[in-house]
Amino acid sequence: MRVVIAEDNVLLSTGLELLLGRAGFQIVAIADDAVGFLAAVRQHRPDVTIVDVRLPPSFRDEGIRAALQARREHPGLPVLVLSQYVEQQYAAELLSSTGGGVGYLLKDRVSRVDEFVDALRRVAAGGTAMDPDVIAQLVQRAGDPIAALTPREHEVLALMAQGHDNNAIAAQLVITDNGVHKHIGNIFAKLGLAVTDSGHRRVLAVLAYLNAARAT
Amino acid sequence: MGRSGVYLLGSLVSGVATVLALPLLCILRLARFWANWHRERASRLLGAASASRPVRRATGRRAWAGPVTVRTSRALLWLPVNAMTGVVFGLPALLCVGNVVLAVIATPLWWAFGLEDRPRLFIDVPVTGWATALTLGPLQILLLTALAYVAFPPLARAHARICLAVLSDSTEEQLAERVAVLTRTRADVLDAHGAELRRIERDLHDGTQARLVAIAMRLAVARQAFSDNPRDERLVEELLRDAHEGTEEAMTELRGVIRSVYPPILADRGLDGALTAVTTGCGVPTRLDVGDLDRVPPAVEAVVYFAVAETLTNVTRHSRATAAGVRVSRTADRLSVLVTDNGTGGADDRRGTGIAGIRRRVLALDGTLEVDSPAGGPTAITVELPCGW
Repeated sequence: MRVVIAEDNVLLSTGLELLLGRAGFQIVAIADDAVGFLAAVRQHRPDVTIVDVRLPPSFRDEGIRAALQARREHPGLPVLVLSQYVEQQYAAELLSSTGGGVGYLLKDRVSRVDEFVDALRRVAAGGTAMDPDVIAQLVQRAGDPIAALTPREHEVLALMAQGHDNNAIAAQLVITDNGVHKHIGNIFAKLGLAVTDSGHRRVLAVLAYLNAARAT
Repeated sequence: MGRSGVYLLGSLVSGVATVLALPLLCILRLARFWANWHRERASRLLGAASASRPVRRATGRRAWAGPVTVRTSRALLWLPVNAMTGVVFGLPALLCVGNVVLAVIATPLWWAFGLEDRPRLFIDVPVTGWATALTLGPLQILLLTALAYVAFPPLARAHARICLAVLSDSTEEQLAERVAVLTRTRADVLDAHGAELRRIERDLHDGTQARLVAIAMRLAVARQAFSDNPRDERLVEELLRDAHEGTEEAMTELRGVIRSVYPPILADRGLDGALTAVTTGCGVPTRLDVGDLDRVPPAVEAVVYFAVAETLTNVTRHSRATAAGVRVSRTADRLSVLVTDNGTGGADDRRGTGIAGIRRRVLALDGTLEVDSPAGGPTAITVELPCGW
């Protein structure tokens, strides 16, 4: 699987290269700014991209803007954004750009190699990978309707919002697929959401709900 | 008495001059200059603090905005007041002095005047013989001198007070001025504070935090490689070494960031001890002279420490000095730091010698920084910080 990385910190980009190389990814280009990243994406047409939020010259949110720009230029381009802090706003912007997998993870997650690689593959396959902290922020602010969920349903909701499918949720919570299915049915009923098929759209529905709940 | 006399006669001259030079004084700049000159003169007479800093008298503090000039409206008002008061207060003085002079001349030399022009003492008594001259002459001198002695100082002070009353800002104006200054410096302080927070955030984000992530990544890969079969010993060792070196670098960086926020030695030893440490560690022999500082706010301590450390680094690196000195002293509401060296001079903000950084931090606390460093040396850098909170 071919990857383009936008990361200006050499320590981190070599670390990513090392880690992903061992996991079987092929790093085709490492750009150290937004312009270089967009050029590399045009040239290599990668299967998935990894972008640091902060890039030169101003080290603010160039990475997010570059990622959105790349997705406008190449609809469906999977983008995984890495950040050293969680900003729910960035996640919302990424999710609202249509088509293709998106991910938004804390850089800390990278050192959990298996989980990180799993998230990257999910994004590459058109899925979602939202950092648990982002989801926790959203859930925490969502208020009343969420309070009606049982603790187990809470866990299922969080994992669902992070982008995991039923199998992964079942594996993580050590319950059966059937159990997961039941919980999800309950959650959607309690929140008043229409049951959608699994995957990206389901995640979007949940995140949109959490976002809206936060706003009220 | 002499000083008051000179002042009163000067006021008469300036009053008359004001009338004569009226067209010229309609030029506002000249009017302000003229008024300022009178104000300085009046406040010198009254022995008050320099009238160019009226705020000082209002608040007990120096006005950081520098000299405050007279308002134009007040300078214009002063023109007629000056003409009037100059004549009213100056004329009696002139009469008094003039009659003393007359008596001094008339007493020995009354005979030298023609019969018709004999000098008159006590206004209307002509001197016609030695008897009159030797009695009335000294008597007039004595009486008028006594009068001058008694009357000149209060007259002069009254004039000076009128002058200051006309030319000084009202309490309200002084307060408005002070508020304007404080508003501006407060905005500067907030800006500087924000810039400082951003710098610290950037240092931690790009430095320490990034290093920790890099270390974590290497350790994660090392763990994986460790359980590989067959195990690549060389790779695992390399990764561990990288991670180890990374932690050391992260610690060094973190120390740097902490020092830039609040130097630990300040926390441990106080300003005196911290300055002792920095001067003994300086490459150029440095004499340290710290007065009785009393309690100094931590923010001020940090800036003083930073300014001295940075300046001494400059001395070592650029000045080619053989000796340097640091003097820290305290008045009621000011802390002064003077760093001198006998090197080649030429230090300024633009040559990237760290002075810009010191200035930024000093200004953030409403302080002042002066650099006196002519080419060829010596160099003296003065930092003054308010610390009378």
